[in-house]
Amino acid sequence: MSRTTETALVREGRSSYEGAAATAIGLSGVMFAVGLGTLVDVLEITTPVAGVQLSTAMGIVLLSLGVGIISFGLASRLDYVDTRPQPSAGIVAAIAFTGVWFAIGALVAGAIGLGTVSWMAVGLVAGAVAFAVTAFPREDIGSTLPAGSVAVLGGVALTIGVIGPGWEWVLVSYNATLFGDTAVPVVVMFASLLTGWAAAKAYGGFGTRGRNVGAYVLIYLIVLSILAVLVGLVAFVVVKGSPGLFHGFSIGGEQVISWPFLTNGASLLADVAGVFPALVGTVWLVIGAVLFAVPTGVGAAVFLSEYAEQGRFTQVVEVATNGLWSTPSIVFGLFGAAFLIPRFGNNKSLIAGMLTLGFMLLPLVLITSREAILAVPDEYRDASAALGVSKWKTIRSVVLPAAVPGITTGVILGVGRIAGETAPILLTTGGGVLPGKSAAPSVLGGFQLSASPPFVTNPSLLEATSALPYQLYALITAGLSGNIEAPQQFAWGLALTLLLVVLVFYAIGIATRYYFRKKLHQ
Amino acid sequence: MSSHTGLGIQDWRKHVEQRLQRTREFVTETEPAALAIVILSIGSLLTAFGGFLLASSWTAIPFATFLVSTGYGWIRHQALIARTVTFAMTTVTIVTLGLIVVFIFYEAIPAFQYESATVFGVSVPGLGMFTQTRWDAVTEPVRYSLLPMIHGTVMVTAIATLVAAPLGVAAALFIAEIAPPTVRELVKPGIEILAGIPSIVYGFIGFTVINPWTSTEFALNGGSTYLFVGLVVGLMALPTVVSVAEDALTSVPDSMKDGALALGATDWQSMTSITLPAAFSGVSAAVLLGVGRAIGETMAATVMLAGTQAIPDPVTNVFYGYETLTSLIARGYGSSTGVHESALFAAGIVLFVTVLCLSIASQYIEARMRRRLGGAE
Repeated sequence: MSRTTETALVREGRSSYEGAAATAIGLSGVMFAVGLGTLVDVLEITTPVAGVQLSTAMGIVLLSLGVGIISFGLASRLDYVDTRPQPSAGIVAAIAFTGVWFAIGALVAGAIGLGTVSWMAVGLVAGAVAFAVTAFPREDIGSTLPAGSVAVLGGVALTIGVIGPGWEWVLVSYNATLFGDTAVPVVVMFASLLTGWAAAKAYGGFGTRGRNVGAYVLIYLIVLSILAVLVGLVAFVVVKGSPGLFHGFSIGGEQVISWPFLTNGASLLADVAGVFPALVGTVWLVIGAVLFAVPTGVGAAVFLSEYAEQGRFTQVVEVATNGLWSTPSIVFGLFGAAFLIPRFGNNKSLIAGMLTLGFMLLPLVLITSREAILAVPDEYRDASAALGVSKWKTIRSVVLPAAVPGITTGVILGVGRIAGETAPILLTTGGGVLPGKSAAPSVLGGFQLSASPPFVTNPSLLEATSALPYQLYALITAGLSGNIEAPQQFAWGLALTLLLVVLVFYAIGIATRYYFRKKLHQ
Repeated sequence: MSSHTGLGIQDWRKHVEQRLQRTREFVTETEPAALAIVILSIGSLLTAFGGFLLASSWTAIPFATFLVSTGYGWIRHQALIARTVTFAMTTVTIVTLGLIVVFIFYEAIPAFQYESATVFGVSVPGLGMFTQTRWDAVTEPVRYSLLPMIHGTVMVTAIATLVAAPLGVAAALFIAEIAPPTVRELVKPGIEILAGIPSIVYGFIGFTVINPWTSTEFALNGGSTYLFVGLVVGLMALPTVVSVAEDALTSVPDSMKDGALALGATDWQSMTSITLPAAFSGVSAAVLLGVGRAIGETMAATVMLAGTQAIPDPVTNVFYGYETLTSLIARGYGSSTGVHESALFAAGIVLFVTVLCLSIASQYIEARMRRRLGGAE
């Protein structure tokens, strides 16, 4: 046989090998998704599939995946296909498989009912064998055999029904029980993760290219899962909350739009209980926080980046700002309760909440404004200075306008965050669980002049006020019940309203950023 | 910093003299009217702050004076007043942090005194919170141990970190190195939005969906578990890890990666052998910040946990969730008085100090990394 035909043959073998590996990757992905579906009860493990229960069917697929993965390794090791494996699968894979097999050994031994010492021993032996199998043979065996064996073991257990619908394992000391309908999907998801990775390595022909493909498959899977969780969460709240939010919603008629959930308070008289007072409360909290934090934050950012010399003082401010940024929200709440409440009439009040949220917003505004101001090119400042413009005029008419996009984006995103904060206003603002419409604060009309200090008062600023996140919390602690029709539906509608308020801020913030970035690149 | 004290004092004296000299120059150069306005504005602001601290109802007067004098100065001497006012605004962050420390510690004093414990004949205030495990504010003996809640916080944070750290770093790698530009423009805002979902919404879903589900799925008494609170909190800490780690990864100069790629390395090789090691400190800072977020996460924990102040048996029991430091405060504040309320502030101190230390540590790590990469550029 001439050399050219040999390579052609090998190449042909390789393409069918790649095809098989790609199929295995796809099948692993499907198994992962089915496992996830079973875990969240979209599917039942007892559902009949092609004449057998779903758990048995998944077992058969896992078993064949496992056998397939091992044969990929063997085919490569016996040189049936042209791959480029390295001498060893590497220490990272070895440690990972040691951990995996230690856990499997320990769990199996524990489920059989062995004592602590025995399951430890079994786990250690399994881990040691896995380490040896991964680290010492060539990479094609080292990365397929341990992964394929997991799938084979899981597949056998599911197929013969060792783990299945009726299975349970009572964890006596934990006072908990593991059932088949949780264990089966977990086994399937975990095993398919490993087979997917191993098949991806085989697809890449092992070696550096194989590792590249294997890692990419895992990372893509992770990112997809994160996005799926995000979409799932939002969709779930939208589906559950829409009936409440749009209860009694109509377009046309006397008022152009009638949206009772947003315009009513909660009372027995109203046809549809609504969240108006809490919505207004949130709006005022945000306005108050912005009025305090935005000028302060932007001013500080201007001073730090334009006037101050880099030194001890700027360093301290930076540390303090980052420290404030990461301070837990409940600590801000405690601070507001200890510092602000005694100074504003000794009970929970709207203004205490405004300032507490303002303190939280301040570091966010400062950090983003400073970044935006530092991003303004020095050429702008130099050009202005060359024209004989004074420093302050340069800042006012050159630097700040150029930094406005960044500052706006930062402020909007920051506002989105504080609008959903519950912990600080729980301790400082309070309010009723199901306030009537009259409880909505009327800040603008509330100002009064008086002859004694402090001369200007505003009772609605000094009253405990409900806000969207607080009302949701209060409803939950009240056990989702109250003097309204369908409190569950009301609570979900409230959750959706809150989510929408926050997401609208985020959407606007992100859209602004894109708009300005596009303008910048034109 | 000089270890020689005499030299240090000399340096300091020189520094002060320079400052004085500059101040004198500033005073002589500035118009007397402008100077007067600045002094009036700063003075009235300080007075207003003092009045506010003393909870005086006369605070309005100096505050009004500040507004008027600043407004007048803005019209007549804008540059000077702008500089002064922005300086005053800069100090607000430091002052706020200082006030937080002072007020939380002040409120916690009674609890520290109540929970004194004696070591070697010396009474150490607050030690009793960490040497026994009983928290009971109602039945005798009334004790305020923080250990059960610290245990809860550690459990939740550990599980959350196991979720957020690997997933967060993987997602950051994806955004910074792997994703094609169009995909990146979709994924990045997606993860930002994940950060925007309010914690009480997570808590609400946890309370109405996850808790009942775990209760039946694992045959538990009640559905509160550290396991699932940890998972939820991990999801909430994830965006912090992603965005900070992504910043660190993108700050690695392209020239370093290009070198590896030119030598024929695969993308994954250049990531694991160049980008990740170079950005290692930034990535660990990201994880530290994520841990800080997880420790401070309040509402999801409050709503999902059972609210009993006890350590589960055995201590590794993730199937039962009792209380964390944050949920203790959120649940207990308002219905508590006296030493009990003060003990909540003590819990706040533990939280605040831990998270502040994490924040400072991560800043230190980041600064070191920036210095190192700056040298490589």
